[in-house]
Amino acid sequence: MATSTATAPLSSNRLRKALRAAPLYLLVFVFLVVVLLPIYYIFLTAFIPGDKLFTQPLTYIPKAITFERWGQIFHSLPIGRYMLNTLLLSTVSTLLALLVSFLAAYAIARLDLPGANLILVGLLASSMLPGAATVIPLFKMFQNLHLFNTLWGLFLLYVSGLLPITTWVLVSFIRQVPVEIEDAAKVDGASTASLLWNVVLPVVQPGLATMFLIGFITCWNEFFIPLIFARGPSAKVITMALGEAQTIGSSTQYYQQWGNMSAVAILTTVPVFILTLVFQRQIVEGITSGVFK
Amino acid sequence: MSQATDIPVNQGQVASVGLRTRLNSLRARRILLGYLLIAPVVIWRLATSIYPFVYTAYLSFFDNSPVRRTFDFVGLENYRHMANDIQVKQTMGFTMYFAIVSVAMQILLALGVSQLLNRKFRMRHFTRAVNLLPWAMSAIVIGTAARWIFDVNYGLVNDIIWRISGERPIWLVNVNLARLAVVLTDVWKNTAFLTVVFLGGLQGIPLEVYEAAKMDGADGPRSFWYITLPLLMPLIISMGIFVMIGRVLSFEIVYALTSGGPGMATSLMSYQVYLQGFRVLNFGYASAIAMALFFMVLVIGLLGFGGLRRAWSRS
Repeated sequence: MATSTATAPLSSNRLRKALRAAPLYLLVFVFLVVVLLPIYYIFLTAFIPGDKLFTQPLTYIPKAITFERWGQIFHSLPIGRYMLNTLLLSTVSTLLALLVSFLAAYAIARLDLPGANLILVGLLASSMLPGAATVIPLFKMFQNLHLFNTLWGLFLLYVSGLLPITTWVLVSFIRQVPVEIEDAAKVDGASTASLLWNVVLPVVQPGLATMFLIGFITCWNEFFIPLIFARGPSAKVITMALGEAQTIGSSTQYYQQWGNMSAVAILTTVPVFILTLVFQRQIVEGITSGVFK
Repeated sequence: MSQATDIPVNQGQVASVGLRTRLNSLRARRILLGYLLIAPVVIWRLATSIYPFVYTAYLSFFDNSPVRRTFDFVGLENYRHMANDIQVKQTMGFTMYFAIVSVAMQILLALGVSQLLNRKFRMRHFTRAVNLLPWAMSAIVIGTAARWIFDVNYGLVNDIIWRISGERPIWLVNVNLARLAVVLTDVWKNTAFLTVVFLGGLQGIPLEVYEAAKMDGADGPRSFWYITLPLLMPLIISMGIFVMIGRVLSFEIVYALTSGGPGMATSLMSYQVYLQGFRVLNFGYASAIAMALFFMVLVIGLLGFGGLRRAWSRS
């Protein structure tokens, strides 16, 4: 009797605690389902055999899986080339954008230039110009300059797209660095180049890393620019294979369309998912650094 | 005596003039260096963004088509035509509908989800990572997959609705449902951005503020209403405007999910520019539509700036 009265309040306390936490966990569960279920189902579609794909109700845990879509897309489309193009474009464009905007950001943040803030604001305002309102003249320019259908042309536009935000964020990063560090180096007679490379760069390196992640993912996911400017396989990227994958294979088999689309969706998505999960903290920092700094 | 004192003064003046010119030349060198460092960014943006934009404005006064081989000045004819073009009018209507409805839903959801992710619970780290996944996915992947997800007979959405209600809504054929499908797809992808931003905002509110409010009897929903919301308001407005401009400019989801259909009921401005510019190859007319899009962005930006200033002055 005495022991039961001693334990009763404890367990009821626990129960009350669990009950109070229940709505929270229910909401978390709903949130996870809403986000993860579509992703799971899109990925699953690549592995469900054709005759099991079109059922009512749908099956969420397949009894048999197939890998025929992978053979099909790799056989009919230059997927390897697309992936390579995408990787190359995303990496090089982002690195180049960071390099170029690092130099500009240093000048804007530190060299006390007349009109520096105007340039910075103008840069940011120019990023609000609709892509649709620049694309026709660029199309003409690219044809005249033989940049159409080339990776060079895409580099030019990818870098351009990143420059306003990378410059903006790097300016705020450099402004947070105490000037004294640079002054000490200047007293020691360091040249501007060595100052930038040996003093400023290491300090803003975390900022560069987060901006690299954001820039890389942005370029990797790009679709509108290659849709207009890359019409041949030499410059096409992986996001363009989504549409193409739906038209290959025997057209009588309607299910090929979604299975193939799904396989390409996996190829397009898994690399950015890995980056996002591994570098979650840096990515959140990257997203918010344009907002709060 | 006076001569004796004059000399050093003179020398001092000479020295200071020399120093000043040296300082001036140092300053000039620093400024020159600065502009050299900025030049690549500015030239890059001028060549690939600002010049093309100005040229688009110019083209909007021309009848220019590579197919018909025309390049004729037509004044305001393109704009006049646009005012009577039912497709463009529908497109403008849906663009505004999409921008307003999608942003409103995103703000409300992001406020809720950021509150949720700010609580302490098991698997919070994992849940926050999951929140980022739709943000990281390409819009074109989501748009294309959404056509499969919203499939009438075998789509994920209708499977769930059918299990619950026994009905199968015809998402992409019915005008209102197609519009809703576009909005829902967009909300699914983009709410994560606002959630991350609001979460950052929430973490910036000092705990003492809530504790002080608790002493005054403001707890739970009241503290959200009287503390959290007002403190987040400048962020909600500025980011709301930013996201709304993004909605007005968006392209991929509509391109992949509905192709603007049924009819032109879900066509967005960028998609219309794409159709006129790169399917019909009407460069002049497409440029005029692009300029209309630019003015929509400009108006939203200016209205938002006004709203933001009011929110700042109040908080």
